[in-house]
Amino acid sequence: MQLPVINDAPASKGGCSASSCGTTENQMDSLPDSIREKVQNHPCYSEDAHHYFARMHVAVAPACNIQCHYCNRKYDCANESRPGVVSELLTPDQAVKKTMAVAANIPQMTVLGIAGPGDPLANPERTFETFRRLSEEAPDIKLCVSTNGLALPDAVEELSKHNIDHVTITINCVDPEIGAKIYPWIYWKNKRIKGIKGAKILIEQQQKGLEMLIAKGILVKVNSVMIPGVNDQHLAEVSKVVKSKGAFLHNVMPLIAEAEHGTFYGVMGQRGPTHDELQDLQDACSGDMNMMRHCRQCRADAVGMLGEDRGDEFTLDKIEDMEIDYQAAMEKRKVIHQAIQAEMDSKRLEKATKVAQHKAELKLTTRPVLMAVATSGQGIINVHFGHAKEFLIYEASPDGVRFISHRKADQYCGGDTTCGDGESTLQVTIRALAGCEAVLCSKVGYEPWEMLEAAGIAPNGEHAMEPIEEAVMAVYKEMAAAGKLDNIPEAVRASA
Amino acid sequence: MAVKIIESCVNCFACEPVCPSKAIYEAKPHFLVDAKKCTECEGDFPDYQCASICPIEGAILDSLGLAINPPGSLTGIPPEKMAEAMAELQSH
Repeated sequence: MQLPVINDAPASKGGCSASSCGTTENQMDSLPDSIREKVQNHPCYSEDAHHYFARMHVAVAPACNIQCHYCNRKYDCANESRPGVVSELLTPDQAVKKTMAVAANIPQMTVLGIAGPGDPLANPERTFETFRRLSEEAPDIKLCVSTNGLALPDAVEELSKHNIDHVTITINCVDPEIGAKIYPWIYWKNKRIKGIKGAKILIEQQQKGLEMLIAKGILVKVNSVMIPGVNDQHLAEVSKVVKSKGAFLHNVMPLIAEAEHGTFYGVMGQRGPTHDELQDLQDACSGDMNMMRHCRQCRADAVGMLGEDRGDEFTLDKIEDMEIDYQAAMEKRKVIHQAIQAEMDSKRLEKATKVAQHKAELKLTTRPVLMAVATSGQGIINVHFGHAKEFLIYEASPDGVRFISHRKADQYCGGDTTCGDGESTLQVTIRALAGCEAVLCSKVGYEPWEMLEAAGIAPNGEHAMEPIEEAVMAVYKEMAAAGKLDNIPEAVRASA
Repeated sequence: MAVKIIESCVNCFACEPVCPSKAIYEAKPHFLVDAKKCTECEGDFPDYQCASICPIEGAILDSLGLAINPPGSLTGIPPEKMAEAMAELQSH
């Protein structure tokens, strides 16, 4: 199953350079320097930056101009973590205040996005008022917006005025017949338009908006939701089309569909993709396009590092009482950002050297192995197994270590007894790690240790506080030395 | 002659800006229609604008008190299927 993976990365770049075979860099390698500079510290775009920098969303945009089958507009649930869900809708004024409060208290927060809970561009006044004020009052924060694209062509001019250099468009298809299975209706020119006709207009607007943004020099990332049996076979085509028009990154995300969400797909029993299906599609697209694999599909009001949500610390009543001296905060932020930057640069360099060393030393012909890692950031293994809310999945092979995805340790909804057929949290977590052969964390308790071993996943607490890639490679070498990894037959390697 | 927004409204703001008569206003616990201002879009548009963008089935009633967007008409979820799923969830 893993074989195409090793061979895919080199093929996509015409050779696997010593410094970049593996994690972050290979998704960024083919970008021009000007774009890479803009995105290398962005937690949502750069896999290694997301270990250091944080992001936040402000929920100022409630209205939407289309319906998607994976969305339910009754969005107020504090226990869910998925796009479109928020607990507290903000006015632009409240959003500005919250952003500055977070920026002062979480200095590594560098990115403010507006992503809903509806469509930001279907709420142009609220969205642009927020951007306008933030670009004046907090100029050290990068601004991003995501959209379904329907109102995008009309908004491009305004977007370029507010110095927004990243836009995300969700494009699930370029074929209206497939679109009609994803979008039941759009609101367009004072009419609700259903079916293929509506989907066709949406697709045209998305593509037109994409082209206009590129012409203005604004970076475009494309999000796609992978829906098995609906658009899974079609997304490689989408990837090709958006790349040819100039999108710099494609983020294929798994469908989230549960009956309790009340969405069309949830209620109708449409399933999401398995980890393997998602990875296979991402790998298939990666030959044509820079793929993104670390997206956490966060809430429209998420705050903090990817994978964490500190929104509770910044509710309206709490920020009301905070006195923020933003000039002073900006000074402090600058110093901290420089320190983080220096740390990232040295880690990047160190990693490149280590990888080159491994490659020189390593004469392995062993099969690749997936490993799970518990981390809360800084690129090191620093979370106790039982405390991990998510695991990062890495693949180790003779070619090096590469980041594959993240998996949640707990389920999307609050996780009371109604979820999961009476399985314990531990059982659910272990099931989420299916396919991994080792799990690296700072410590593992006795009970999970036994259960992990029984599930064929080797628990490993020996690399606490060590850099992830090095630790994963060290464990891989140990496994190889212990004869746990079969060699790949020569014939298979040669033919690949 | 006026439409009415009822309690299933989720306060998404979508209808407010598209009303040609500025008859819709934010209120607690949900948006409301000023019956004196509402023209049911007559003379402006062939369709009720609020009900053409509203994502919630049953949230807007016509002057006869009937849902302009009846169950199943927007989400595509057949009402019996929805009832089944909800019953299933509540039985846990």
